[in-house]
Amino acid sequence: MKITSIIVEDIKIAADFLKKFCDKSGLIEVKGHFENVAGALAYLDDDQVDLIFLDIEMPGATGFDLLDSLTYSPKIILTTSKTEYAFDAFQYNVSDYLKKPFTYNRFLESLQKIVKLVPQADPYPLAQAVGTVSPAPSPASMDMDFLFIKSEDKLVKLVKDDIFFIESMRDYVKFVTSVKNYVTYSTLKALEEKLNGSAFLKVHRSFIVNINKIDDIRGNTIYLKGNRIPIGKGHKDELARRLNIL
Amino acid sequence: MKDSTPARFIFNKNLDARFLDELFDGDAAYAQIVFEDFLRDLPDYWKDVETAYEKQDLNGIRTSIHKCKTLFGYVGFSDIQQLCQEFENSCSGKAIAALESGYQMLVNRKEEARDIIESEYDRLKIFNAADS
Repeated sequence: MKITSIIVEDIKIAADFLKKFCDKSGLIEVKGHFENVAGALAYLDDDQVDLIFLDIEMPGATGFDLLDSLTYSPKIILTTSKTEYAFDAFQYNVSDYLKKPFTYNRFLESLQKIVKLVPQADPYPLAQAVGTVSPAPSPASMDMDFLFIKSEDKLVKLVKDDIFFIESMRDYVKFVTSVKNYVTYSTLKALEEKLNGSAFLKVHRSFIVNINKIDDIRGNTIYLKGNRIPIGKGHKDELARRLNIL
Repeated sequence: MKDSTPARFIFNKNLDARFLDELFDGDAAYAQIVFEDFLRDLPDYWKDVETAYEKQDLNGIRTSIHKCKTLFGYVGFSDIQQLCQEFENSCSGKAIAALESGYQMLVNRKEEARDIIESEYDRLKIFNAADS
């Protein structure tokens, strides 16, 4: 599902670039373009969008006036040619701050932040655009909170949230869950693709963990519901990023 | 053997060509549209600067220069963008007389910029016609 947005920008060239970048990303639907705050607020009275690309200095009211007037909390990307507003932007808790003019690559970096924040956003087009994913995961595997695995002679439904971790066993993988353990014919690589965008993270060449189940981390070891999982050297940075370490 | 690599438009050396290459990513047709928009919008935006300057309206000068600054950025005039920023900053707490030399410099640079973009726009039209 695309992220719905509006553009509030009084400079036509800047607004046109934004529209072009949104179209190119395949991820953002631009519902409207407004050259001033009043027009945007009138639209938002009737229709809510997920994201607002918002210029700050415009004739009449400023972008910050619009933020003060909002009656709900869409994601905001400020677009301005002045860096002096960065502190105010931080105070308004905006998702990102793009200094005009910006390139498509900078725009994509910004979208990556938004995709993580908008629940219904489909991250696949963005992943394709920035080259982080090669094969297309099935839409179902991204949206559903369960998966089916072949175990013995039947298909078993596993609720993703019940899975503690997945361990590689050559051509098989072992699912360790809150209920019992299951072994099925698959690879961690295939599972990584199926679980992309959810709470699962590969932390070692032989382990994918459910980061919501981690109890604590000591040195290079994850302690998870009585299990000890090693952290691979090449996975430390991504783990730190995903855990939101203060 | 004939080289089948598509020709790439080379921007004028007075522009920030590296940035423009990244901004347009080889899309010379879109560059032509943007340069055309620049030539269409700059006179209107600049008129606001002139009007505010004549009225000695510092806030008006600041906001209208701010718009021109953004416009210059999209056609690769990073240096004029910087000049506009400095001028915009100097509009706070200065008398109009103190802005005169800065204003004149901007007027001159704006004229040069328009000439360069007119020439680039013509070159882009030729380039894109040959490419189609």
